Amino acid sequence: MSDITAKKAKASPTKEFFVNMITRDITLEDSILDLIDNSIDAAWQMAGSHAMTLGDDTDLSAFKITLTLSEDQFTISDNCGGMTLDNAVDHAFSFGRKASQEREEFSIGVYGIGMKRAVFKLGKNVRVRSQFRGDNGSPLSFAVPINVTDWLADERPSWDFDIVEDDVRSEYGVVIIVNELTWPAKTAFGNPAFVENLRRMIARDYSLHLGRGLKIEVGDEQIIGANLELAMSEDFSPMRISYEDKQDGESVSIEMLGGMAAPPPDSVEPDDRFDGDKRFGWYVACNGRIVMAADKSSIAGWGTKDWPQWHRQYAGFIGIVLFSASNTAALPLTTTKRSVDQSSDVYRSAQLKMRDLSKVWIAYTNQRKQALEEAKRKEAAARAVPISLVEVKPAIALPSLNVQRVERPANVHYSVPVQRMKRLARALGNINLTYREVGVRSFEYTYDDFVGDE
Amino acid sequence: MASFDAVNYSLRPSKAIQRQLVFEGIRKLHERLRLSDSVYVGLGSVWFTDFVLAHEILNINDMISMEVDDIGFARAKFNAPYATVQVRKGSSTDTLPELLADRYINKRPWVVWLDYDGGFDEGLMDDVKLIVENVPSNSTFLITFNAHEMNYGNAKERPERIRQLFGDTVPDNLSKKKCKTPRLRHTLAGFAVDFMKSVAATGRRKEAFVDTVQIVYQDGAPMVTVGGMLAAPETVNKIRDAAGNAGWRCRPERVIRAPHLTIREALALQAMLPSEDSLNRDNVQEAGFDLKVEQIEIYEEYYREYPKFAEVRT
Ligand SMILES: Nc1ncnc2c1ncn2[C@@H]1O[C@H](COP(=O)(O)OP(=O)(O)OP(=O)(O)O)[C@@H](O)[C@H]1O
Ligand SMILES: [Mg+2]
Repeated sequence: MSDITAKKAKASPTKEFFVNMITRDITLEDSILDLIDNSIDAAWQMAGSHAMTLGDDTDLSAFKITLTLSEDQFTISDNCGGMTLDNAVDHAFSFGRKASQEREEFSIGVYGIGMKRAVFKLGKNVRVRSQFRGDNGSPLSFAVPINVTDWLADERPSWDFDIVEDDVRSEYGVVIIVNELTWPAKTAFGNPAFVENLRRMIARDYSLHLGRGLKIEVGDEQIIGANLELAMSEDFSPMRISYEDKQDGESVSIEMLGGMAAPPPDSVEPDDRFDGDKRFGWYVACNGRIVMAADKSSIAGWGTKDWPQWHRQYAGFIGIVLFSASNTAALPLTTTKRSVDQSSDVYRSAQLKMRDLSKVWIAYTNQRKQALEEAKRKEAAARAVPISLVEVKPAIALPSLNVQRVERPANVHYSVPVQRMKRLARALGNINLTYREVGVRSFEYTYDDFVGDE
Repeated sequence: MASFDAVNYSLRPSKAIQRQLVFEGIRKLHERLRLSDSVYVGLGSVWFTDFVLAHEILNINDMISMEVDDIGFARAKFNAPYATVQVRKGSSTDTLPELLADRYINKRPWVVWLDYDGGFDEGLMDDVKLIVENVPSNSTFLITFNAHEMNYGNAKERPERIRQLFGDTVPDNLSKKKCKTPRLRHTLAGFAVDFMKSVAATGRRKEAFVDTVQIVYQDGAPMVTVGGMLAAPETVNKIRDAAGNAGWRCRPERVIRAPHLTIREALALQAMLPSEDSLNRDNVQEAGFDLKVEQIEIYEEYYREYPKFAEVRT
């Protein structure tokens, strides 16, 4: 009998299994954002790597990221300095960061998987090109071509990719070209709604970078960053605080803001308003990248202990938490960067403050029902201020209202063909009136005609 | 207003030209893809002009017209031009689901043309979704709608109204300028195509919507016709090639605004064509009358499609 203990039960993964696993739980959109994250990390490093706080005024206007999406090809290119040959040889293409690897300061990237996962998600024929400034100051270029099918078929143990020479270009930066797109990528890129939604997502998730001058273009269109704004007036002022915390011994800085972004809705029934309450809820940014936007779920904390579930009545509220740390591993990021890690200590302690702030707002929206006219007047008088200009204040201030007992209401509900509704809206002066507004106005009109002043 | 009550229905030269272009385009694609045994679904009204072309140019026999109006229905049955034309009583929104479930026709390629007089609205939006999601593979789908500004609210309301109608494909910062004459018609045409593409891509079907037709024409109000094919994966490139080459006439850049000519005028111009140099005003004046430059250009471009007056039977 041979020596059993000398044998090994093979456990190394097949490439195919591995690729399937890593691409499984990420969406196409998030994969594309992963590539943008990398360009931004490179730009941020060039700009000096420091904490992305609201007050920070780093100028990113020299940096540009360009994406093109068609049914046949995907490309992303940046002028953010490029990756060095040493980095490509030792780190950039390995699956997962090595423990020894130096931690980039205040980066978005942390796991060492994003780029690889993204290109596998996108297509079968990939070329990563980089041009960087060599030690002697002159430009050096190389490329890493990946033929995914061949690479998967190659059973030899090596997982490495070849590096080849490449033409010199005019800018220092990285270009990634993907051909032979996967079926989902092909369908999505031929879908104008997908492309427009991607633009919206970029405008929102990189609003802090775009606000500092970074240029991102998708299919020839430059993206304009979304403005996060809160309302201020004599009666309204948002909360804005900052504090330090520790995650596994690493320090994390936190800034938190919250308040009214728009007046709450008059009615709690879902109406036909196109936008609805999409903008409202909690936002979380990690080192400047918004990873959770307009959250109304238990991830922010709604509907968990001592914190009511989101309700349309609360629309109008926006809260923002910015976490930053020089060691990104200390931040509450998930690997897809599309949500927060709820088990993180820094996040859990932030959540308590988020809850308290949300509850003050909830109380206000309850109270305003009994003093609606006064509340609406005061809300209308508040003006929107970009979050970076919101004053530091330990607590949110909301108007105190003269609460009156309301008469018992009669709720009306009926259906009519939508075309007739639209025609009436137009005749009443605005084709976009909500159904509810059309209802109320026609009631008032008829009441006035048939009942008049009592 | 139903279109059979519109005055001078047969005297809309721009509409007639547009219709010829579209059917010729479909014929080319059908030949290229070797499609046969198609079904035509439309709103034939009492005139059935498009049905006649579907039969003559595309060789389609099975044709179905939908008619919601009681009197219109009686008249449509009376006026049906061929034995194989079936008139169904009901709105498109009620009738289309029945047709899509009909086993006799729902495996064959369709040519569906929802040719409306009114603006793009929620009703048309629902019909578009229904068709794009469910029509058989390699079917052609066209819609025509009114692009006059006032169908879409006043200038201030229009961007939001357009967002409501076409959904996510409309950028959040759509400018008021793009929603005004003369750009509005192209804006609407573009979003209607994008809407069809995104419905196809979001649904569960394997066919993509490949757009082939985008025409703005004007007799009275500006009208938009857009459409394309629900292409099986292996036919996508063939359709793109055919609709992308120089001879493809279903995506003209300029608005088709054809002059109303008398028979004498039309014959006089026609006698000078085809011509190596383009016709100019001097030529027309020499022939004994006069026209604007734009009218001459449009006539020269489309004289072969310009309605022949012998065709008033349609
Ligand atoms: N556009 C780029 N410019 C410069 N360097 C880049 C660029 N893209 C990738 N890199 C290098 O490649 C490395 C690997 O990127 P990848 O996205 O796979 O992992 P990561 O960013 O380190 O971590 P994460 O998985 O969290 O994104 C990066 O750390 C960076 O050094
Ligand atoms: Mg990364």
